[in-house]
Amino acid sequence: MTDKKVAKTPVLVLDHIEKSFGSNKALKSISFSINPNEVIGLIGENGAGKSTLLKILTGIYQTDAGTIEVNGKKVKFRNPRESVASGIGVVHQEQSLFTNLTVAENIAMNSGSGSSASSKFGFYSWGSIFKTASKTLSTIGSKLDPRAIVGDLPFVDRQMVEIARAISVNAGSGGCPLVILDEPTSVLERHETEVLEREIRKIKEFGSVIFVSHRLDEIMRNCDRIIVMRDGELVADRLVTDVTEAQLFKLMVGHEARAVSHVRKGLDNSEVPAIEVRDLNRSSKFSGVSFSVRAGRLTAIVGATGSGREDLVRAIFGAEKIDSGTLLVGGKPVKNWRIPKAVKAGIGYVPSERKVEGMIGGLTAAENVTFTHPGKAAVGPFLIPKARKKIAQGWFDTLDVRPNDISQELGRFSGGNQQKVVMAKWLNSPDLRVLILDHPLRGLDPGAAQTVNEQIKLACEKGAAIILLADTLEEALEMGDEVLVMRDGEVTSAFDLAKDNPSTLDLLERMV
Amino acid sequence: MTKAADGAKTTAPASQSAGFKNTALGSFISRYAETLALIGALLVLVLIFSNLNPRFATLENLQNLLNQAGLPLIIAVGATLVILIGSIDLSVEGVMSASGMAFVLMSANTRGGTDFGIWAFVVAITIGAALGFANGFIFTKVKVPSFIVTLGMWYVGLGIATIMYGTETMPFLVDDNLSTWASQINFGLPNNFLLAVVVAILGALVLRFTSFGRATLAVGNNEEIARGNGLKVTRTKIVVFLLAGAISGVAGIVATIQLGAANPTVAAGNLFITIPAVVIGGTSLAGGKGGMLGTVLGVVLLTTLNNGLILSGVSPNFQTAVSGGILVIAIIATAWSQRGRLRISK
Repeated sequence: MTDKKVAKTPVLVLDHIEKSFGSNKALKSISFSINPNEVIGLIGENGAGKSTLLKILTGIYQTDAGTIEVNGKKVKFRNPRESVASGIGVVHQEQSLFTNLTVAENIAMNSGSGSSASSKFGFYSWGSIFKTASKTLSTIGSKLDPRAIVGDLPFVDRQMVEIARAISVNAGSGGCPLVILDEPTSVLERHETEVLEREIRKIKEFGSVIFVSHRLDEIMRNCDRIIVMRDGELVADRLVTDVTEAQLFKLMVGHEARAVSHVRKGLDNSEVPAIEVRDLNRSSKFSGVSFSVRAGRLTAIVGATGSGREDLVRAIFGAEKIDSGTLLVGGKPVKNWRIPKAVKAGIGYVPSERKVEGMIGGLTAAENVTFTHPGKAAVGPFLIPKARKKIAQGWFDTLDVRPNDISQELGRFSGGNQQKVVMAKWLNSPDLRVLILDHPLRGLDPGAAQTVNEQIKLACEKGAAIILLADTLEEALEMGDEVLVMRDGEVTSAFDLAKDNPSTLDLLERMV
Repeated sequence: MTKAADGAKTTAPASQSAGFKNTALGSFISRYAETLALIGALLVLVLIFSNLNPRFATLENLQNLLNQAGLPLIIAVGATLVILIGSIDLSVEGVMSASGMAFVLMSANTRGGTDFGIWAFVVAITIGAALGFANGFIFTKVKVPSFIVTLGMWYVGLGIATIMYGTETMPFLVDDNLSTWASQINFGLPNNFLLAVVVAILGALVLRFTSFGRATLAVGNNEEIARGNGLKVTRTKIVVFLLAGAISGVAGIVATIQLGAANPTVAAGNLFITIPAVVIGGTSLAGGKGGMLGTVLGVVLLTTLNNGLILSGVSPNFQTAVSGGILVIAIIATAWSQRGRLRISK
């Protein structure tokens, strides 16, 4: 442990924290401390114990053994309220705001609106709620209207509200607040991430931060010290100056990164494209979009929020309406395009909202794998459980799904492992013609991300045409054979990466 | 790169809010679109019915119409609270029967017995609150869907009323001042409608200006987040059901006063109009969205529809089917803007 700032009382001290679920030891004797005005990066694969640790810090779980000290005082959180009261605020991975309430109320939730000056005997004082909220918003440099309804705000602004709420935890007590940012960037576009990084630097002036992210470059850029977890243990606690990205990867995963080799083939116009769109329009979403993807190739589409790329790929999958234009699958134009037809034609879609659209959490993992393309697992209307188990087990072994238990409900797996199962559902199709991937690596740790990327390549080699909406521009440039840039619903440029070599800046300029 | 990102951030919201929506009138219209649509629909109905029958647009009929709207509106205020947390209260009619029966039997009535005066009101409303508390307690603690709990409580309430009713003759209220109170006109409006408006205003104030009211909206929007924020979710839900029960108790008193007597079936038919009225008023069955103003408009709209159909000479044989059909159409019209290809309704 670093002992350079002994003079100050640490914001947080964890001493031999243990937590088990049944026979599964989720946390094994975790000890570390956080100093005032320090940004700590917390990294680890899905299932390494990060979430459990955060849930203990936020009062959702209770420790089995070990002690927690906040600002020099020993604490034991029985519920989220007590954690908030001691000065720990969280920006959750999935936004946790009340979309039907005002910005100010959402912020007030954390400063204990039940007892503070903003409400007396259960009666609201709107004036003081709005005033407190503007003050909090101005400390993070946001000019949001505290009277606005959160549901009407764009995503980035909502994140500002989350941050404002997190730092308002102990507006009264004056101690150093600890803000936990739980993978806040996993759902942000690149330029939005920069806004967030600026906020981290602001928070650092008056508080401490635990920053959880799967993107190692972000961790290196924003943190003072990095804590690595693996299999419930703390495997490293290093100053950012003492470690490299490659070392972090190895510490997290346990082995070195495998290089993903990628040989690009030049365009061959004689082939019939697996999927082609001509002058595709959907009012106020996208217009005049034309492009094609051939078998065995990967086209990455990049664009900022509101570029219409999500709507475009959803329309290709039949999940959204097409107003005009032609969609050709295997060279043949299609009509009355709907999801069942798309699935039958061999198109697969891995949605960004995995939990909402990509999986049926209440069914077993095996059932999810064979749900859409059962293969041998169904004969007519009858299901064959034995064949289903065989198919699912095969995918579990190939994709290294953990825990390796196909009969567990899919909803109980961690995000990365759920995503592997969602991928398997489409890969199980014997004639997968087109695979549409909407942010396939969102929220995945580097190990899981590598497995998913390898499967994308494999599907590509087997002859599927891939349309990828990547999380980052780097990812798009690394994975793609071709990159399309979209802005305000139109394709502004197309790069054939076998010939062109655009930089991320080139792409960004055409996006905004 | 940072510079480019700044540009993107500042231009996007500006382009969204530009144009019509940016004007004061535009933002007013977009904010109150649903309310304005309801008022528009109400005006259209009034126009149609006044043309079909000149008797529709008279002061007498207006007072009659609002007299009819009073009782459903009182119930709808409680129903709005319950629907705002994403639950449903089907026990209304049973609770009303039990409260109404207790009220009449404890007041001066044709069966004799003691006149408990003000205590008759207190006991009747307490019975409502107790049944409502039972709804909320079973719903939250035993974790049974509110749909089932309240369906059962409906019949429990009816049963209590039937037991109290016994085998004797129907108890009529003796005090004429009391039994004609509901339809007496004050400030140009019937008393029961005035009472309903007071209840609705109280409901609106609670929703807007109390921690409990805001917690109700928060729980309806997302229960898990509410819990994560340290809100007392279970307590909020129980209080919502308790209030709804107490309001049903008030409605039970009003219903028996209107009838001038107590009868276990005094409340029959009230549930059918209130829940659709709340939904047409813009309160989402999924919870978290809606309010009292919409509920008032929804109740007035549906009451106008019923009143107008009768005056337009629709045969009583068709009345029930026509009301049902129009309800479905009205709900479709309300929900039209929220439909989507991937929207799931259960």
